[in-house]
Amino acid sequence: MDSRAFRRFRRNKGALVGLFLVIFVTALGLLGPWLAPYDPVEQFTDRLLLANGLPAGPGVEPGHWLGGDILARDELSRLLSGARVSMLVAYLATALAVLIGVALGLLSGYVGGRTDTYLMRLVDVVLSMPFLLIAIVMQRVFDAPGIWTICIVLGVLSWTTLARVTRAKTMEARELDYIQAARALGLRHFRILARHVLPNVVGPIIAIATIMVARMIIAESALSFLNLGVRPPTASWGSMLNESQSLLLGLPRLTVYPALLISMAVFGFNLFGEGLRDAFDPKD
Amino acid sequence: MHSTPKTDPWRPARWLSFGLAALAVALLLGWVIAHFPKAPIGPRYVGAGHPSPQSGGTLVFSAGSNIHTLDPHFAYDTLSTAACRLLYDGLLDYDYDGNMIPSLAAELPTVSDAGRAFRFELRHGIKFHNGREITAHDISWSLHRLLSKSTGSPGYPFYKSIVGAPAYHRGEAKRIEGIRVVDDKTIEFQLDEADQTFLNALAMPFAYPLPKEHVEELEAAEGLDAVGRHPIGAGPFAFSRWERGVQVEFRRFEDYWAPRARVDRMVFLENISPDVASARFRNGDLDVIHRPSKVNRLFMRESKAWAPYRAEVPSPSVYAIGLNCELPPFDNVHVRRAVAFAIDRSKLERLNPGEVLAAGQVLPPMLAPHDPELPTRQRFDLQRAKKEMRLAGFPDGLSEPITLWVRGEGDVRGAQLFQQDLKEIGIEIDLKMVSFATYLKETGKPRVAQAAFTGWHQDFPDPSNFMDILFHSRSIHPVNSENRSFYRNPKLDAILDAARAEVDREKRLALYAEANAILADDAPWAFLSYAVDMFAWQPYVKGFQPHPVWLNEYRNVWLDLPRKRVGQGIYEGGAGL
Repeated sequence: MDSRAFRRFRRNKGALVGLFLVIFVTALGLLGPWLAPYDPVEQFTDRLLLANGLPAGPGVEPGHWLGGDILARDELSRLLSGARVSMLVAYLATALAVLIGVALGLLSGYVGGRTDTYLMRLVDVVLSMPFLLIAIVMQRVFDAPGIWTICIVLGVLSWTTLARVTRAKTMEARELDYIQAARALGLRHFRILARHVLPNVVGPIIAIATIMVARMIIAESALSFLNLGVRPPTASWGSMLNESQSLLLGLPRLTVYPALLISMAVFGFNLFGEGLRDAFDPKD
Repeated sequence: MHSTPKTDPWRPARWLSFGLAALAVALLLGWVIAHFPKAPIGPRYVGAGHPSPQSGGTLVFSAGSNIHTLDPHFAYDTLSTAACRLLYDGLLDYDYDGNMIPSLAAELPTVSDAGRAFRFELRHGIKFHNGREITAHDISWSLHRLLSKSTGSPGYPFYKSIVGAPAYHRGEAKRIEGIRVVDDKTIEFQLDEADQTFLNALAMPFAYPLPKEHVEELEAAEGLDAVGRHPIGAGPFAFSRWERGVQVEFRRFEDYWAPRARVDRMVFLENISPDVASARFRNGDLDVIHRPSKVNRLFMRESKAWAPYRAEVPSPSVYAIGLNCELPPFDNVHVRRAVAFAIDRSKLERLNPGEVLAAGQVLPPMLAPHDPELPTRQRFDLQRAKKEMRLAGFPDGLSEPITLWVRGEGDVRGAQLFQQDLKEIGIEIDLKMVSFATYLKETGKPRVAQAAFTGWHQDFPDPSNFMDILFHSRSIHPVNSENRSFYRNPKLDAILDAARAEVDREKRLALYAEANAILADDAPWAFLSYAVDMFAWQPYVKGFQPHPVWLNEYRNVWLDLPRKRVGQGIYEGGAGL
């Protein structure tokens, strides 16, 4: 990021709020499981259950700051260990999407011709598929719900925007004088792409990828909410939403906690991403 | 964070508009919060106060999933049965005490030949919904349809003691020898051997008669499943229409043989989740509710206003983890026992107080010969479980995780409860969630599912309905096994066969008690719980009471209309965080 972009970013208060939220939820994801006071799958049926079978609320039992969940497990510990899963899936899926999207975009934009046509039609095809539906079908086909499957499913389905933007930027860059010069000097294509084209593309990619993390958090939550995500008893924010929905009327807190975290993460990544985009591309 | 100098000068108009906008948003929010719908703490409507039964009105009730069929010959789930109970009548029925009573039959049959021959006289003036009088030929024809191979009804096993039924089922005979129509109003059944459950079988929806001409016309035009979509029976309600997956509607049958139904119409809503159903019920949009969601159930139980309009009754059902006795490690009885002893069922009771009872044997408490002190009953005993694991040759637990098949979210929750328990004896559990249809299909095949959440709700109040069906080696088939743990025990088979034929009630119960003890000890199922059902009904719904055999029995209900709205002062606030 050059200094002008950095200055533009720093002036954008929304982006700074976003950055703060992103750091916060990422830190939760990194440190959460270590911060968790209890084992997230341990059931405290003697301590965290009221006589009527509902979980005890915040502060009823010392040490259980947010009370128990529907199966009398420590809610705080589950939120914290769920953060790890949710953030891991979001980051890994995005990384996979970036990898595919940038590679194909560079190839498409740089080589052009038939390769470009075919790749862009492929993008159209993938774009035309209803995202969540395909994700659900793929999860069912793999029949092995787990963190890695979700990452792959989400990543494979969402590289298209990145490919398009990369392609456009690559085509722009391809015509720049110094790249023409590099070609004329006989540099190998891979070197030209890596050293000269990629730096032109990287700004918008980072911005898009950041916003994509937000989308991935939502997608993972949606899949987990539909019981197609992580395997129980592993917690993710989405699966916690799912588990708490049957108690929504009586104990809204169990729904509110994970929902709040999801909103915070999504809001943060969106603000941060928008800020980055504005910083990189002041024309917009 | 340092701020850059303001370039904008002070502009009052801008601040004013901002302030106004903020005020508007705050007002809107306040209005929404103030008017946020709150759940009423008591019934919203009460009846008009008629002392005697009134005719008219529409009864609306719901279920959480799809109704599978309205063809009684295929109705082998609780929802289809509930719908068929409105549309059809059979020879026999049960009263509210669980006693068998005649229905289309004029009286209970005369029994001869040491319990192997039954003679029924039919009532006069009994009609199908198409207006035609029912004769003994209809009873006979319907049973032939039920038991033919081409129909493929799951009800066949209940009737195979009729002379000639197996040959007919295999397609080797044109008709069933043991069913004899004496005259238009008389029918006789001859059995191969005495079968104490034959009358129970005749009272099942499988044996409800259908009009031949209607069925044949429909099947010729639209195929075998057409009857399930356009049913004609002899019950108190006739079919109106079915919006598949949404609702079935019934209308009163005016030519019914018994006192006519009171309610004009019945509407059976499908696919209403317990949460939604509970909210609708409390709002007065549903007239009856069965199994409200957990929070609502607690609320109903604690609410004084609802106390006269609810009932909690033990359900004749059992839930368990089925262990496949053909697949390792559960081919080893010690591993099965270890599982049965490792499960702390009190957690279920504490998590769902009043909703479940811990189970240690296959028979639920209300069904003799259930024995609370059964010496071999399954119970939580960690030391014993560890000992059984040692006896099985796995002192350090299993090296591979077990795959446990579950049918839905309720199962997932239950399964998580026991994952921890089984970890204590070194058994890891992987959950495999499948749809109910897949579950039924796959767990009915041998050597597929290692372990599965399972359960049974009785068809009729007799221990054979649990033990014969679930654990007799005869119930093992290449597909659609009812014995889903593929448990084979010649000794148990012999006891069950003897009990099935035993005429003396005391001796019969003693045999089943023996079988009960063997099953608890051999642990083809690790029993978990017996359910306690909750029903609630609106104050203007009269004449409803839980039925000991039929799970959702609404045919005798009447509505005290017009219903009156109760005042507004009975609302509770939302629950705090």
